[in-house]
Amino acid sequence: MNFGDSQELQMVRETAEKIYKKLEGKRHEIFQKIKRNEFVQEIWDEIAEAGLLGAIIPPQYGGTGMGLLSTAIAVEELAKYGIGNALFVLTVVAESCIVRNGSEELKKKFLPDMASGKVKCALGVTEADAGTNTFRIKTHAIGKNGRYIINGEKTYITGADVADYILLIARTTPYSEVAKKGLPKMFGLSVFMVDLKSKGIKITKLGTRGIEGMNQCTVVFEDVEVPAENLIGQEDQGVWVMFNGLNPERILAGAGAVGLSEFCLRKAVEYAKERKVFGEKPIGAYQAIQHPLADVKIRQESTRLVVYKSAWAYDMELPPQEIMFLANCAKYLSAELLLYAVDRAIQTLGGAGFMEDNFLIILWDSARLLKTAPVSNEMILNLTAEHILGLPRSY
Amino acid sequence: MKILVTAKRTPDPYSKIKLKPDGSGIDTSNIKFVINSFDEIAIEEGLRKKEKFGGEVVVVSIGTQECVEQIRTALAMGADRGILVDTGGRYLDQLGVAKILARIVEDEKPDLVILGKQAIDDDANQVSQILAELLGWPQATFASKVDIDLNSKKAVVEREVDGGIEVDEVSLPAVISADLRLNQPRYASLPGIMKARQKPLKTVKIEDLKVDVSPSVEVLKFEAPPQRQGGKKVKDVDELIQALKESKVLPF
Repeated sequence: MNFGDSQELQMVRETAEKIYKKLEGKRHEIFQKIKRNEFVQEIWDEIAEAGLLGAIIPPQYGGTGMGLLSTAIAVEELAKYGIGNALFVLTVVAESCIVRNGSEELKKKFLPDMASGKVKCALGVTEADAGTNTFRIKTHAIGKNGRYIINGEKTYITGADVADYILLIARTTPYSEVAKKGLPKMFGLSVFMVDLKSKGIKITKLGTRGIEGMNQCTVVFEDVEVPAENLIGQEDQGVWVMFNGLNPERILAGAGAVGLSEFCLRKAVEYAKERKVFGEKPIGAYQAIQHPLADVKIRQESTRLVVYKSAWAYDMELPPQEIMFLANCAKYLSAELLLYAVDRAIQTLGGAGFMEDNFLIILWDSARLLKTAPVSNEMILNLTAEHILGLPRSY
Repeated sequence: MKILVTAKRTPDPYSKIKLKPDGSGIDTSNIKFVINSFDEIAIEEGLRKKEKFGGEVVVVSIGTQECVEQIRTALAMGADRGILVDTGGRYLDQLGVAKILARIVEDEKPDLVILGKQAIDDDANQVSQILAELLGWPQATFASKVDIDLNSKKAVVEREVDGGIEVDEVSLPAVISADLRLNQPRYASLPGIMKARQKPLKTVKIEDLKVDVSPSVEVLKFEAPPQRQGGKKVKDVDELIQALKESKVLPF
């Protein structure tokens, strides 16, 4: 067992740090864009140039095959400086689905452009009546003459307004038919890569908050044609394809949260060392201030370990159930960690914690979002109770 | 074109330096080590010239086995191969380092040697000058721009001096030392990091070079600079001028 970084992972950390230093001069500009919910292309370009989008893609398709752990470390390091990009994570999710389930043709078609940063990908799962309960998805795809015709509506789709493609989950066999034939209810869903510029797609921005420089959107599909080759994995077996992608999403969300918690800690500690309220002692000398910060640090370290372990499990291709359990642990702990870290940092800074320029109050939205998405913490407890502890299903 | 560059292992300029209590050196226990910032600029310049003219960039580091980290980083940036001169941890002064580099240059016969103008640890700023002298090569130090003409085998180097920009022309082979504004070094991309795995890295034992590196400089003690004293508040401009006169900042 080895808990240290390999020299290569150490280099990935340094690369992330250098990306920050390169962007440091544009800090104000980037901050303004994030405030306006504008996509920060500069961050995307650096992530692409560093090769971070190709880390889980094998070399023959334009990546490096370095693995999800190196991606997680980069996401964490960038987040320590308050740099993040949700489409980076979502594009990796789509890559994961294609790498582990896609046909040779599909891999050749998409992976090189995804590795180079040319193709940004959003994720289309949630519908008005189906989020956590994926089986109720109504968007459907009917196959005919070498293509699929897609109809339906997805909602809360992050970055659909800037992405090039959407990884879409849709019904290829109606739920009623699945029930009638006594097939498992996981059956009948399929996953597609759909060009967001296709005819029949309408994207409307929603007024949500919480994702840096990005909008969440409603995406309507009206007789959208998709070439049959864009189907990932087998028809009707899309749930298993999706599970392959949801794990990296949780793992990378966890990595980002660990990094952001460090961002909060740095701000808080720096302030607590300088700020004097009663006499000459800085407020950091008071246990009421320092104990919560020490507590954040301890929780952060334990969360980081499980984030790394889950990324490692993904790279090692451990059984899906094991990866999912670890990915859920990572996501659950990191969501709790980050919200607590932002809260304590704001409390340490007092009034200054609400200054937008200190970024903490802006981070509050994102931190809160992580308890709800990509999967709610309550749902993780449900899944853990049912599948890991073997308790009766509660819902 | 074959270019030799250097990669000294130095503390990260962003890390907080603490001295050992006995003053024998710095406490390295919590310090991250990186490539000397000026050497990084030298490496970048070497890579840019290779990209333009073709050829090879060879990176040399002198020190303990740990310097492999800095060589690998340079290889991940794009250098082609590395040479580690393993000193076994012995102290070398600037003359010793220059002698070792001169020995490597004899073997490698590069068209150009680019070094950082100084290392951010001891800030000595001597190795490139001594190396040029030992080799009998022309030198251009503190370069802020380097143009190479392969046909005439010449380099035109701009140097930032107090009065403006000085332009020197040197014939190749030559020694150039890199200043801060020469370029913005690239970072190691993930593909670069993976490629570095396959690149050759040779270790040479210092004894095998048969160079006399017995130091002529002895380090007696490390001391932190004196703590800054608190300033003084003045009421108005008159008092300020009076105070400046008293402290002999103003000559009249």
